[in-house]
Amino acid sequence: MRDWEYKPAGDAGLPPADRMRSLRREGGLPSVLAHEAWCALTAGYLRGYHRFHVEGREHLPARPPFVVVANHASHLDAVALAVGLPMRLREWAFPIAAGDVFFETKVNAAFAAIFLNALPMWRKKCGSHAMETLRERLVAGEAIYLLFPEGTRTRTGAMAAFRAGIGMLVAGTHVPVVPAHLDGCFAALPQGTKWPKPRKITLRFGAPRVFADAPDTREGWKDVAKALEAEVVRLRG
Amino acid sequence: MNAFAHPATVGICIFLAALLAVTPVIFEILQRCGRLTPALRKELNARYFSWLVLVPLMVAPILLGRLWTVAALGLLSLFAYREFARATGFFRHRALSATVVLGIALMIFAMADHWYGFFVALPSLVVSALVIVAIAGDEPKGYLQRVALAVFAFALFGVCLGHVGYLANDGNFRPILLLILLCVEINDVFAFCCGKLFGRRKLAPHTSPGKTWGGALGALVLTTALFAAIGSSVFAGTVLAAPVHLLSMGVLLSFTGQLGDLVISSVKRDLGIKDMAATIPGHGGLLDRFDSLLFVGPALFHYIGYFVGVGLDQPARVFF
Repeated sequence: MRDWEYKPAGDAGLPPADRMRSLRREGGLPSVLAHEAWCALTAGYLRGYHRFHVEGREHLPARPPFVVVANHASHLDAVALAVGLPMRLREWAFPIAAGDVFFETKVNAAFAAIFLNALPMWRKKCGSHAMETLRERLVAGEAIYLLFPEGTRTRTGAMAAFRAGIGMLVAGTHVPVVPAHLDGCFAALPQGTKWPKPRKITLRFGAPRVFADAPDTREGWKDVAKALEAEVVRLRG
Repeated sequence: MNAFAHPATVGICIFLAALLAVTPVIFEILQRCGRLTPALRKELNARYFSWLVLVPLMVAPILLGRLWTVAALGLLSLFAYREFARATGFFRHRALSATVVLGIALMIFAMADHWYGFFVALPSLVVSALVIVAIAGDEPKGYLQRVALAVFAFALFGVCLGHVGYLANDGNFRPILLLILLCVEINDVFAFCCGKLFGRRKLAPHTSPGKTWGGALGALVLTTALFAAIGSSVFAGTVLAAPVHLLSMGVLLSFTGQLGDLVISSVKRDLGIKDMAATIPGHGGLLDRFDSLLFVGPALFHYIGYFVGVGLDQPARVFF
């Protein structure tokens, strides 16, 4: 008779505060319900207030793992990407959020983890260790990352160059990367404003790219970033 | 009814307060005598501070009333299940896991409603539901494993722990539950201390290397004595106040308490983990702390039920 195989939660054994910040965090029933409720709420808001519209959903892979990369203009972006996914995929969707903004205090971290299902990326002290963990989790097949490779929100509305980090996650793997473009977020909620304006927001998904042949080196990562940046620019039209 | 109507309730509360007050003094004396290393002192302190939080959390709902007690023990069931589900990875079977949670929630409802018929109907109904829900998704691979984990979890955390909560429907629930909780927790302490003093032969070295026959038997004697002493007041005026019953219940409690500990140790060994979670500093998970309660509930519930009945003079089906 074969032994059973147990696979404890990736964050099993961590104290609650560390769980929220763990890159291996896996939500249980309460956080799945909270996340679904949050998505339903924000979907209603985006559709009602911003006439949110999604194009190109057919490009999305049917199952995890994959990565969605998009331009970054406002705090609405991550929410729009999560809501833009079909419901059956939402459970696996992890927005990669700035640790120093969303995970600094315990309350913020709990909100980001439970409602947004976000994983932290520490911009100043992000070692290769964190990237390694994220990559492992992706390749293991049970995650969808929502990522903004510009690294920060645009100040001017113009898209900045993609950073190489996205390459570190996918170069040399078979994980598809879906380019996406968000239109209208900058007009709705540019950095520095408090309340969103009722501008129309459109999300456009493009055809997925795979970087199995890209070398897992600094050069390879940069090429991946460049290629994806070009894809997102193309989607902008 | 006044929370402190029964003298045993007052006695146990004073006893607990005294115990919590004296413990740091004992630590201090042991340290002055050089019997405690700084590391051990630190660990004992962490445990003690957790007890300072846990004891009021356990006692307050019982003093507040029946529904509070049911709610507190219901939450304990749900959190114990959560720790188990995360440690085994069972939580990834969302539908099945939700069914276990629903089953536990219905058990809690049966306790709160004081509906014994539903309480005894649920185990068979929920097990049927689990076995059936597990076929959804048309994935026969791993069927037996996920069904087994689901039924095991529901049986232990829903049904067995549920019996502790159902005792809250007895008119005399305050002293009974306080007596059980006190003796179950002190049973662990007795086993630990007796093991240190005259434990030589290992009880089950592969399951729990720290446990010894000396510790187990010492705890059996001491816990039984403590249970009988306080129990004579708790059960005064009923058949159970007879020494033979008090001693039987004490032995039953100490025995099943230690077995609960061993059962959860087996689970942890099988999973290859030390603690079920890291919820309580110094103790591990809730399940690491309350594992001894698992089988004490059904054992004492049915013992009391057989000889005097549980909650027979109380209003049943209170919600409808």
